[in-house]
Amino acid sequence: MTTLSVNGQQHTMDLDPATPLLWALRDHLKLHGTKYGCGIEQCGACTVHVNGRAVRSCGITVGEVAGKAITTIEGLSPDSSHPVQQAWIEVDVPQCGYCQTGMIMATAALLERNSKPSDRDIDRTITNICRCGTYNQVREAIYRAAQIKEGA
Amino acid sequence: MKIVQLNRREFLKSSALAGGGLALGLSGFAKLAEAGGESALPPYLRIASDGGIHLGVPSAEMGQGTHTTLAMLLAEELEVEMSQIHHIETLHHPDFKHPTFREWTNSAANFQITGGSVSIRAWHLPFRKLGATARELLRTAATRQWNVPVAECRAVNGRIEHSGTGRSLGYGELAGSASRLTPPENPPLKSPEQFRLLGRAIPRWDTPVKVNGTAVFGTDVDLPGMLYGTVKHCVVCGEKLTGVDDTRAKAVPGVIAIIPLEDQAVVVADSTWAAMQGAQVLTLHTTGGYSDLSDESIARQFRSDLAKAGVPVAHRGDPATAMGKAAQVLELEYEAPMQAHAAMEPLCATASVTPEGCEVWAPTQSSDFAMMMAMGVTELPPEKIKVHTTYLGGGFGRKVEYDFITAPLVASMVLGKPVKITWTREEDTRHDFYRPPFLIHMQFGLDVHDMPQGLRAKLVGPAVSRRWQMPPPWLEENGYDWVVTIGMFDGYNLPNRTPDLSKAYAIPNLQVDFVPSDIQVPTGAWRSIGTSHNTFALESGLDEVAHAGGHDPFELRRKLLTHNPRALAVLDRAAELASWGKPPEGRFQGMGYTDYLETYQVQVAEISVSKRGKITVHKITCVADCGQVFNPRIAKRQLEGGILYGLTATLKGEINVQNGQIVQSNFDDYPMLKLKDTPEINVHLLENHEAPGGLGEAGTPLIGPAVANAVFAATGKRVRRLPIRPKDLV
Repeated sequence: MTTLSVNGQQHTMDLDPATPLLWALRDHLKLHGTKYGCGIEQCGACTVHVNGRAVRSCGITVGEVAGKAITTIEGLSPDSSHPVQQAWIEVDVPQCGYCQTGMIMATAALLERNSKPSDRDIDRTITNICRCGTYNQVREAIYRAAQIKEGA
Repeated sequence: MKIVQLNRREFLKSSALAGGGLALGLSGFAKLAEAGGESALPPYLRIASDGGIHLGVPSAEMGQGTHTTLAMLLAEELEVEMSQIHHIETLHHPDFKHPTFREWTNSAANFQITGGSVSIRAWHLPFRKLGATARELLRTAATRQWNVPVAECRAVNGRIEHSGTGRSLGYGELAGSASRLTPPENPPLKSPEQFRLLGRAIPRWDTPVKVNGTAVFGTDVDLPGMLYGTVKHCVVCGEKLTGVDDTRAKAVPGVIAIIPLEDQAVVVADSTWAAMQGAQVLTLHTTGGYSDLSDESIARQFRSDLAKAGVPVAHRGDPATAMGKAAQVLELEYEAPMQAHAAMEPLCATASVTPEGCEVWAPTQSSDFAMMMAMGVTELPPEKIKVHTTYLGGGFGRKVEYDFITAPLVASMVLGKPVKITWTREEDTRHDFYRPPFLIHMQFGLDVHDMPQGLRAKLVGPAVSRRWQMPPPWLEENGYDWVVTIGMFDGYNLPNRTPDLSKAYAIPNLQVDFVPSDIQVPTGAWRSIGTSHNTFALESGLDEVAHAGGHDPFELRRKLLTHNPRALAVLDRAAELASWGKPPEGRFQGMGYTDYLETYQVQVAEISVSKRGKITVHKITCVADCGQVFNPRIAKRQLEGGILYGLTATLKGEINVQNGQIVQSNFDDYPMLKLKDTPEINVHLLENHEAPGGLGEAGTPLIGPAVANAVFAATGKRVRRLPIRPKDLV
């Protein structure tokens, strides 16, 4: 039995500890906001927070995260009021939207560590793949989220 | 183990041919007129008693913003705010056969489809008319209730108001009585000066669910008692399954069944992860296949086929004489490799099949094709099949195919439970219907003023439509395939049309031929279809013509388009906004022009190239005249997104084949453009009242030649094959 702490709730599941966190979230907890894109930590569609850090959930096992605080997009805020979500809505970033929850989770973690990221910080940190080409809107929304977070 | 044999190819052929189109036998479906019992409005527009509007639309939402724009068109005429649109879904409905595909093919292609960048072009008037019809019914219902003249009642913000008394009724209160009235034939439409919504950057309707994780994509369908699965295809192109060794796969905890099909095995389990693990250790026994197929063998075949005559695409003037009289002939060859679609959402679909009926949930660009697949597999009549279109996590032409609908249908039939199938990224990359590889040979004949008087072009590559299991009506006996010739003076050379070259470059003598050269790798529709390879060749070729004759590439295009004022306007505006000819120190510019999809467009790329051949794209200026614009933000972002899709194919990877197998498999060996690679992009729209042109694909084909032409300006090296490799520039 594995116990996961997801979005503040404890879930005890009969899962092979080698199961990637991604699939425990999606198939067992039905938290579908975390997406499967590549399975090899390349695209970032499955980004969640583990103890506040952005982690690609396809590349970490439930055994490794047992007992740690996991946050998914569903737990980022109850009502899309997180500054990053607010900024995403304001800039109207998504197109197809499949990569966007991962982008948002990666950005939220970045802003926790670095409240005023530079272009270079963003380039280095936000390495998620978007095939619709929303990158310039993502960058704009990251700056906007930093402002909202500061109360601007 | 018995391999499940599906007779779907034969089935699809016969259903495609019957009646000269897709004869789906939809007679069992509710028709518009028959829906009048409860409501005079078609079932895809429902006004609830709370005034909330529930809208079914023909087009799949795959990022292009079509749900929002169609809802805006309706809301404009219906006089409601977007917040009153409570529900939008892509609805499978017989009224939604695509009018533009019908127009292109004399009604032979009669299906519901999202593709060809023609959603708004086809549906903008029907959706405005739908809104206006409902508005007039509601007005009439109110006037009858109050017993006042219609002229005294107006629709405002979801209510009908009476000017004389100040009385008003909400749409929800009127919906019931309105539904018993006869709809007007030609309800008046608003003039553009009266628009409240159209032409404005209204926020996308789907943004809220896409930032909180609740949007349901194909991968997210969840049914009670559902099983999960994945597929494992034969790796060599053309291979067929003879059997499997599933001892190890069945030993994986959670694996429930292995179902072998013609060219793939379906692995079903109690979770996706278990199914993927099972697939990994499953051994396929196969026969046949083209194991000697490679990039080199394809290149040799194209080279040899280049000598063949080909089928005519475009002809005007006297190209032979023009070439004979030319002061200078430029002979040029361009190549484009295969590219995968690589949508972020891997292929997936869910099916629930019982003896009584079948339901399919899929991120499909064509609910009719999914329906056909379900009919073929289950042998159920169409009235017992329901197709639900989810949000698509990107489509780009891949999800117009229906190969990915098979596995869940079969698995659900065999196991008697709903089954969701999710492909791995590796399967998605290796079993695509790729952008076809092409070899393009061009001869430009220049006169004494170095102006092109003649062009002979030969396009060598696969007729992609022939690979589609259902031959589309535009594919001709001789192999002529509009899908791959478009973009090289083909002027929409469809069976029932006279090619229109009146807006094309004024090269008076033309001969364009296509040599169908089929390959054993499946190819298909990749965002911008034939325009992708043809624009690269033509726009790079014109750059070569300009440089050979000492013309400025901008001035040369201007001289060749003096008869086309919309083209001149975008050229002039782009030159101005990009400061053409005056790039900052160390940067270099290249440009391209296209009128693809009746969107007149120029892109200017500003780049620099390092000593090691690394290209940095600093800025892209895109000026487009796409006629009437209903949502400028969505429109601009379609162009921007299309540009970045094309930029990946210009600067990043390609799909290779060796020993009959696709070499690439995932984003590590098939890299994508990322945020750090993304240039500043400035999109400008020249708005007017012309018919809306296409935008979903238009940005993609032009960026390749614009960057390649800038590379020539920077390095003097001509790029004749994409993607551009740094090693070719040093």
